[in-house]
Amino acid sequence: MKKRILSILLAGCMAAGVLAGCGNGGNPGTTAAPSGGEAGGNTGSTGPATSVTNDFELVTVDGSSHQYKKYKDMTSENITLTYFHFDQDETVQLLAERFMKIYPNITVNVQYENVANYNTTLSTLVSNGQAPDVIMHSDCDYALSNMLLADISSFFNTDDETKNLADTINSAGLGTYNLEGGMRYSVPVKFFPGAMFVDRNVLETLNLKVPTQNWTWSEMTQLIKDATVLNSPDGMAYYGLGYYNRLDSYYGIAARQDIIGEFGFNGKVFDLTEWAVGEQEFSNLKLGGYIAPTTETQAMEDWCGDWEGWAGNTGHAALFSEAFWTFQNTWNTPGYKDSYNLDVVPYVIPAVSEADAGANHHSIATIDYGGITTSCQHPREAYELLKFMSYGVDGWYTRCEIYSDETIVNAMGTALKYDVMPVPITKDEGVWDEYIKVYCAGMDDEHTQLWRDYFKSCMQPISFGWTSIAGYWNFCDQYFNSIGIHDLVDNGTAQAADYVEEANRKANYFHAQAMLDYFGPGAYNVLTESEIAEYEKMKADNQ
Amino acid sequence: MAEMTKKMTRKEKKELRERMKHLKSGKLEKRYARMGYIFMIPWFIGAAVFLAYPLGSSFWYALNNIRITPLGRIFNFVGHGNFTQILIEDPDFMIYLVDYLTSTVISVPIIVVFALLIAMMLNMKIKGKGFFRLIFFLPVIIVSGPILGMLNSQGAGSVSAIDTAALSGAIGSVLPELIAKPISDVFGNMITTLWYSGVQILIFLSGLQKIDKSMYEAAKIDGGSGWECFWKITLPNLRSMILLNTIYTVVFVSNNSDNPIIVLIKNSMFSGTKEKGYGYASAMAWLYSIVVLILVGLFALLLATRKDQYEKQVKRAIKARKKEKRNKKRIERRNRRNAKRIEQQRAKGRITSHTTKRDDY
Repeated sequence: MKKRILSILLAGCMAAGVLAGCGNGGNPGTTAAPSGGEAGGNTGSTGPATSVTNDFELVTVDGSSHQYKKYKDMTSENITLTYFHFDQDETVQLLAERFMKIYPNITVNVQYENVANYNTTLSTLVSNGQAPDVIMHSDCDYALSNMLLADISSFFNTDDETKNLADTINSAGLGTYNLEGGMRYSVPVKFFPGAMFVDRNVLETLNLKVPTQNWTWSEMTQLIKDATVLNSPDGMAYYGLGYYNRLDSYYGIAARQDIIGEFGFNGKVFDLTEWAVGEQEFSNLKLGGYIAPTTETQAMEDWCGDWEGWAGNTGHAALFSEAFWTFQNTWNTPGYKDSYNLDVVPYVIPAVSEADAGANHHSIATIDYGGITTSCQHPREAYELLKFMSYGVDGWYTRCEIYSDETIVNAMGTALKYDVMPVPITKDEGVWDEYIKVYCAGMDDEHTQLWRDYFKSCMQPISFGWTSIAGYWNFCDQYFNSIGIHDLVDNGTAQAADYVEEANRKANYFHAQAMLDYFGPGAYNVLTESEIAEYEKMKADNQ
Repeated sequence: MAEMTKKMTRKEKKELRERMKHLKSGKLEKRYARMGYIFMIPWFIGAAVFLAYPLGSSFWYALNNIRITPLGRIFNFVGHGNFTQILIEDPDFMIYLVDYLTSTVISVPIIVVFALLIAMMLNMKIKGKGFFRLIFFLPVIIVSGPILGMLNSQGAGSVSAIDTAALSGAIGSVLPELIAKPISDVFGNMITTLWYSGVQILIFLSGLQKIDKSMYEAAKIDGGSGWECFWKITLPNLRSMILLNTIYTVVFVSNNSDNPIIVLIKNSMFSGTKEKGYGYASAMAWLYSIVVLILVGLFALLLATRKDQYEKQVKRAIKARKKEKRNKKRIERRNRRNAKRIEQQRAKGRITSHTTKRDDY
């Protein structure tokens, strides 16, 4: 009898264990998922705040001389916010600590995932009912199609600090997806302006004139050609350009000021005509032998005797279309500066027309966006956290403090300044003075001024398409990349202009479909009737 | 008891069966039955929760377009739409499928034969046998982690002695690109392919150790060479192991995280593209599962253990002997009956010797 009872009990325990093991915390998945907030974390019976009152008191926290704004419309109850990101983790952890010092009643739970696994992990969290409150996102198609992002326009539009952001954030509606209703789902979190780096030592060796900051596109291409000397006296060829980013993306934005997205996107439709000019020009430069070999190629081995060589450290490439962070990550690191005879300085990506080049003009930039999730129960507080982590003045003062202390290092032992340090997207002068101090530490006055000039001229950023245009990724995935246009044009088998008409149709079709899918009925349902009609027509016309 | 049953008529047997139906089983029997069910409960629950439910769910997913939002999952029923899209509109799936089929058909026999050879060598009397067994099992641990990716990126996955570029060129000149590429890939990743044979070596080793040594001794006495012993003794005895290893290898290769189709399914699952997502990935997984099942079935058909020829002959002989015996008995019975009848006829005086005339016919 005892054995029988024992066996029944054991079997019951095993069965219960099995069932418990596969539980998901009680969220059935078809109802609203709970946010990361603790019980009782609501802002009160009056409901969550829907705008920013800009009413604050100044507070100081231990370890910092900066006076922080503590907003009075924030909850006084104990809540927890989850911040999910792919930013530099040590920096974000320190920022979160500082935020918690300003708002002691808010606990910030920081979760990091690298970019490669970011969407996978985020999907898993969301499907398990553990959606974070604040997230970063890379491709907007993923975030929008899964309705991850909540409309934060009521906070953004009433916040005084957002009036002082880089001009295009508001003028080009970056993060708004150009909806007539004026909704905003994303804000820029990490900003890396586009740059053309010039090695002045190479120009000096080749006896070439150093360009000015308001150079034009044609001046740049001419310089690339002039700086290419295949039979140089020292036996190693000089190339005009070592590239990481293709120039067609640069040209597509630099061509006209009404273009606010890649592939000639004007907020409604695509026109790849300008892109095709840039694509063809870049391919012609490649075919003409003006572009330095890329790493892990026979050409690279032939050029510098190293299969894994990089044009950026040869001292035989004049210009570079490297990512912005390459300067601090590589060229400005102490070991690198001592090892190679380089004098790399930044230039804004030149505009095509002289009129545009003479003034501040649009240039492509790497911008990673973020937003508040639709399940967040404390949107006001989440907005403040998002702002602190991205464009907020207080957040940037804190960042500058963190970056200036080179004893704070990442897991690899590198000071955080050299680990993908972004650029402030606010125009606040105090922040910029601090940032320049950190960024140009150890530079002479001439170089510091060069960087100041560069930073002033790069505050009209336009982000890469996949981060800010609905349907862009689908277009690339299902058309552009699948037929390999870059390769076809680069090897001379096709002309970029041949694809313009078809690519326009495809791009407009995918964009229209995405707008309807993401923002139409059955999803966010925020499109006006005229927008629905417009996108339906665009979809039908380009089917 | 058996004798009693033998003597029972059909009707009696039927009645007995009817009575047995109404008989209650004994206490002990009942207890055994109950305990059996109790011990099976965890398995049933496990199978229901981790096998049947996910299978059913994934099939339901495959019929829907699913978005995982923070406010819950949004299902949009599309019927066979996902399957149609995969088969007609998705160029990658079919290309990867052909790649998969070609490379699996080539690599599975290579892995199994390699495993058999290594197992036979490890079964021989050599010094440090245990160490070598460990060495060959080590990749099982290594290939299951990111280390394999790192090794492959360093070029450790291919045999440097094989000129893969020349081989690819040669194959490409004879075969179409679609088939040539996976074949070239197999040669390009030869080391990785052979590394997949750790478990199979163990299975073959256990099979080899089970073969009765006296069979080899008998074969040797009869003058059988090692080669003959392999074909006549080793291989027939390992048939079931070969089938097991083949199926294991197909499943392993198909589920491997490096498999491009698995990567494609995963990417589709988390794709930003509205048309893709969980539903699309589930449909792809179902299509892929069917293909893998067909492949496993084909290998099983090809290698399923057939009855031994000797056993067949013995059975046939026994059958023939029984038949002969039955015939003999029948003839004897008939002879006895005929003799009896003749005797009876004779007693009645109806039969006289040589009394028939030609006219009687």
